[in-house]
Amino acid sequence: MGYLGGFKVTFMKLFEERVTTEYPKEKRPKPSRFHGRHVLNRYEDGMEKCIGCELCAGVCPARCIYVRGADNSESDPVSPGERYGYVYEINYLRCIHCDLCVEACPTEAITESKLFEFSFANRSDAIYTKNELVVGDDGLPQRQPWELWHEGDDLATSGWMRATASAGNPDYENRVGWSGELGYGTRDPELGQHDSASDEKPETLAHEHDQLEDVD
Amino acid sequence: MTFFTDENLALAEEIIGRYPKPRSAMIPLLHLAQEQEGWVTDDAMTQIGELVGTTSAEVLGTCSFYEMFKRHPVGKYVINICTTMSCALMGAGDLMKHAESRLNVKSGSTTPDGLFTLEGAECQAACTEAPCLQVNYRHQYRVTTDQFDELIDELALSDHDVPDHGVLSQIRQHIPEDRSVGAVPPEDVKVAPVWFSEDGGS
Amino acid sequence: MSEQDVTEVTVTVNGTEIEAQSGEMLIAAADRAGVHIPRFCYHERMSSVGMCRMCLVDVDTGRGPMLQPSCMVPVSEGMIVDTESDDTKRAQEGILEFLLVNHPLDCPVCDKGGECPLQDQTLAYGPGESRFIEEKRHYEKPIPISDLVHLDRERCILCDRCTRFADEIAGDPLIQFTERGNSTQVLTFPDEPFSSYFSGNTVQICPVGALTAAPYRFKARPWDLEENESTCTTCSMGCRISVQSSRNELVRYLGVDVESVNHGWLCDKGRFNFEAVNSDERLTSPFVRDPDNQRQLLGTDWGSALASSAEAIRRAGPQKVGIIGGSRLTNEDAYAWSKFARSVIGTDNVDAQLGDGLPAELVLGLPPATIADACEADTVLVIGPDLKEELAILHLRLRGAATKGRTQVVQIGAATTGSDSYAQRSIRCQTGEAAKTLSELLSSDDPLAKQLSDGSVVVILGRSSVAESVDPAVATAAVIQAELPHATFLVAVRRGNVRGALDMGLAPGFLPGRTRISNPSASLTEKWKQIPEKSGLGTSEMLQAAAAGQIETLILLGADPLSDFPDRNLAADAIQKTKTVIAIDNFATSSVAQADIVLPATAYGEQSGTTTNIEGRISRVAQKITSPGSTRDDWMIATELAWRLGGDLELTSKEDIWREIEQVAPSHAGITLERVQSSEMFEGILVQQSSIDLALPVPKDTPVADGYGLRLISGRKLWDAATTTEQSPSLRHLAESPSIKVHPNDLQRLGIPSGTEVRVISTRATENLTVTADDNVQRGTAILPFNQPGVGANRFIDATAVINDIRIETL
Repeated sequence: MGYLGGFKVTFMKLFEERVTTEYPKEKRPKPSRFHGRHVLNRYEDGMEKCIGCELCAGVCPARCIYVRGADNSESDPVSPGERYGYVYEINYLRCIHCDLCVEACPTEAITESKLFEFSFANRSDAIYTKNELVVGDDGLPQRQPWELWHEGDDLATSGWMRATASAGNPDYENRVGWSGELGYGTRDPELGQHDSASDEKPETLAHEHDQLEDVD
Repeated sequence: MTFFTDENLALAEEIIGRYPKPRSAMIPLLHLAQEQEGWVTDDAMTQIGELVGTTSAEVLGTCSFYEMFKRHPVGKYVINICTTMSCALMGAGDLMKHAESRLNVKSGSTTPDGLFTLEGAECQAACTEAPCLQVNYRHQYRVTTDQFDELIDELALSDHDVPDHGVLSQIRQHIPEDRSVGAVPPEDVKVAPVWFSEDGGS
Repeated sequence: MSEQDVTEVTVTVNGTEIEAQSGEMLIAAADRAGVHIPRFCYHERMSSVGMCRMCLVDVDTGRGPMLQPSCMVPVSEGMIVDTESDDTKRAQEGILEFLLVNHPLDCPVCDKGGECPLQDQTLAYGPGESRFIEEKRHYEKPIPISDLVHLDRERCILCDRCTRFADEIAGDPLIQFTERGNSTQVLTFPDEPFSSYFSGNTVQICPVGALTAAPYRFKARPWDLEENESTCTTCSMGCRISVQSSRNELVRYLGVDVESVNHGWLCDKGRFNFEAVNSDERLTSPFVRDPDNQRQLLGTDWGSALASSAEAIRRAGPQKVGIIGGSRLTNEDAYAWSKFARSVIGTDNVDAQLGDGLPAELVLGLPPATIADACEADTVLVIGPDLKEELAILHLRLRGAATKGRTQVVQIGAATTGSDSYAQRSIRCQTGEAAKTLSELLSSDDPLAKQLSDGSVVVILGRSSVAESVDPAVATAAVIQAELPHATFLVAVRRGNVRGALDMGLAPGFLPGRTRISNPSASLTEKWKQIPEKSGLGTSEMLQAAAAGQIETLILLGADPLSDFPDRNLAADAIQKTKTVIAIDNFATSSVAQADIVLPATAYGEQSGTTTNIEGRISRVAQKITSPGSTRDDWMIATELAWRLGGDLELTSKEDIWREIEQVAPSHAGITLERVQSSEMFEGILVQQSSIDLALPVPKDTPVADGYGLRLISGRKLWDAATTTEQSPSLRHLAESPSIKVHPNDLQRLGIPSGTEVRVISTRATENLTVTADDNVQRGTAILPFNQPGVGANRFIDATAVINDIRIETL
């Protein structure tokens, strides 16, 4: 074949399906457990889920979260119960997207979206405050001017997954483990972790988002 | 704080005098307060605290422990229907249901005319006479629904010897001088009180 | 049990034999042996009640192992204890499952979450899962039971710690268990809040988050707190505390349990006044008076402020400079200022007290007693201020000694005090006549006279009233010295580090180390360039001299004479007539606002060093946060000023200063820097007692009262208009607006109904005040607390008079 052998490989590739994409015009779907920037969720009635308990800040290995709690006013509460997070800041120059904050959160207030494409012109812009993190009235993340969004990027917001069952019991399944969420409602029970073959994913809104990404 | 009437205040002082420590008079004074008003008011507890030398909070602690001290207004007659085992088996449930419809109040509340308070109660130590009830802590035995109606009618007309809620004879009991230990610390008592003697002091 | 009955017994705990004292509870013996038995209700400073059942352990006293609560079982010889048996574990799991039946598990929003004994012990000893699925009991979420404490009844596990503390330790049983069974709950009486001076301690000892402190509410979580062991300097008691901060802001003080001082307790004033350090009102940069507009202070830089200060001191010359204050300072700062005044300025006009304490002579010279001595003495004779108001934790210690121990407290005074409830005798005398009453008592055949002369006696001596001069106290000291030579003294001066300041020579006529100016130590003469030869002026004399125009430059070293000196008229006159007033302070107090140069100093928690308490015990003050703005430590200001005046204090750090103190102060010899930095400082180091020959001044006689006036008595209250209280948002409203209290018969004689506004006339002022009838006030006297918001008692007081009389007239 001689030197033509090399050309053949190149030539054959012309007819193969392309694996590269024209990023950023075009984006590839993210894996279902992809960790992007955080959102602070709200209940279906619009109340914030965050109670300012600082567990996320306590568990954060990068020390990038700063939370301060305050008393809810009786007439105009921000969250149900006594306390709400009145300061909530995440420094994205430090965040390593390990998701431990999501694990630690007792109210599922903080979850990670799949949004990760943003750039900052200065250090202080990298600190997201409550204004940027809290979801909008539709339950979806609020678009920041410096973030690159494509259609549907924001839908996979509530990618929350519990890594361990309550009290570590692997048989703990089919119980609703979360509360209603603005834009998503109440979601289906968790599936057990012991036998993935029998897991049949029910059709839900949240699940549709998953399918949107799982194109492989 | 003034709650007690002059007459009762004098009696209260006398009651306090019967004990080596004023604090011991707390429960008798609560009875006295309940006798005066039908229930124990906050003012009463405050004054009792002052009389026995402790805080109102301590009086409240004691008062609220005992169910027979009422800390809210009750009717002239408090009717306690026993709901414990023997009475329950002998129809206390039906009796309670009947009482509720007769008096037209739920258990635990007072009739609008302020005459009756209906309550369920634990065993009243009259299991052989089930179902039983108490009116102002005076027993009525083997009460049928008809007897209950009759009782209510009599009470409503005050045609009965049951005194108003709160009246207890023990408070008025006069202890003769020779039988009273008096305000002497127990360790200083030289002679045993007469009722300790074999003939009961009689 | 008396001490003779205590015998050693041997108990086997988990297979190891341990020594214990008979009568002591098993849990305490196990603690000492390092075996931890879980507990909620047991507290070593309070009596055991066995409420929580968490400390059940297998105890075998010869009849086979049985589960018994180790906090209620006294040790006995041969007892075999197993704290890790299967039965014990099952009991612990069961108890925790029960305790959690109604506990809300709202740990994420609970202030205790993260440092909660219930959380920790559930994790360590709990069953992991609960079988209870029923709805929990619900109550209204936190209800304020006082201005400072919130109660969440859902979280309460009924351990009886708070109620026991309130009853046993504080003596304010204002919280109680009410109801019973499932609805048992801790409550106050309706509309009678838990307004104890010690309410904050219940928050600290609560083993769950049922009691939380309003000033700390949602401020931080335990895991983002940093802490440092320190000493409270709110009063001179020197309670050991843990200073806790989050994000460079003080958020909480906790009491540290030391045997010699506070037993872990704190008063609410000391516990919650950290808010003042964080106040926005702090002075953060220097100010000088605007030359164009004398009513205004202009911000400036340190360089020019220090230059003008130095210039003012130089211009005045040593005789016309006065330094007032210094009890806010640490020992090291006080030493630097003492050295600066003597060796650089050359003046002895220094006084750390503001005319409301006792002469340094008495404080340093009377035979000293410790707090522990007082709590073990046969008799404690209190002739002085109301301890509950001025030295609250000393009151608590004495109360404990009187109610649990064998100490008998005897008071002699003109007014009722917080100690009346536990005092064996409270002898009432006319104000200023305690000495007379005492000598009459001692010469009478009263059994108390024998008790005093035969048994050990500790005298707590102080100024019963700011409205009387030091003379009655001096006279009392003289009587006791003469008649009860075996008595020792705990001199009740109340300002933060006043003992330390006096030890460091911030008193006219005294040099560091409790030596007289006439008799300096050799090392001191060597280190200090010059020492004035004769004694200078005390605060009162300085202010008088200033009012007469004889003081040109007055340095207020954390002092506010307008509020704290007994005689406001004199203080105001002095400040006005003084050419330059230099104020070194944390806040713009009323005196600072009148100053010509204001230098901002670092506050408590922002500086390290040592402090000396009422009994002469040195303990550590730790820095926890950085100071705001350009504030400086007081010793730095002294060295800077010295340098600008052409001197050099040769002090470069706090450690440096302590080394020098140890060398030059005879009383502090041997207390080396190494010892001060060692773990010995947990309990503090007691300074060796002084050797000055006590020369009691001759007291002036108390003048006889005329028939028209009322003798004024003015003591302090815990909640007053003190700067740190005023600057703490949670505390500032706790001071009552004052009314003058008079016996009802006196009011009747004057024909004035109680509660009306009257004209109060003294030699100093005429002001309108509300008058209240009070049975507890003696006839012929009137009580007006000192330094309260509104019309202060200091307007009426003439500091030169032995006793101040007032008259009351209808408007």
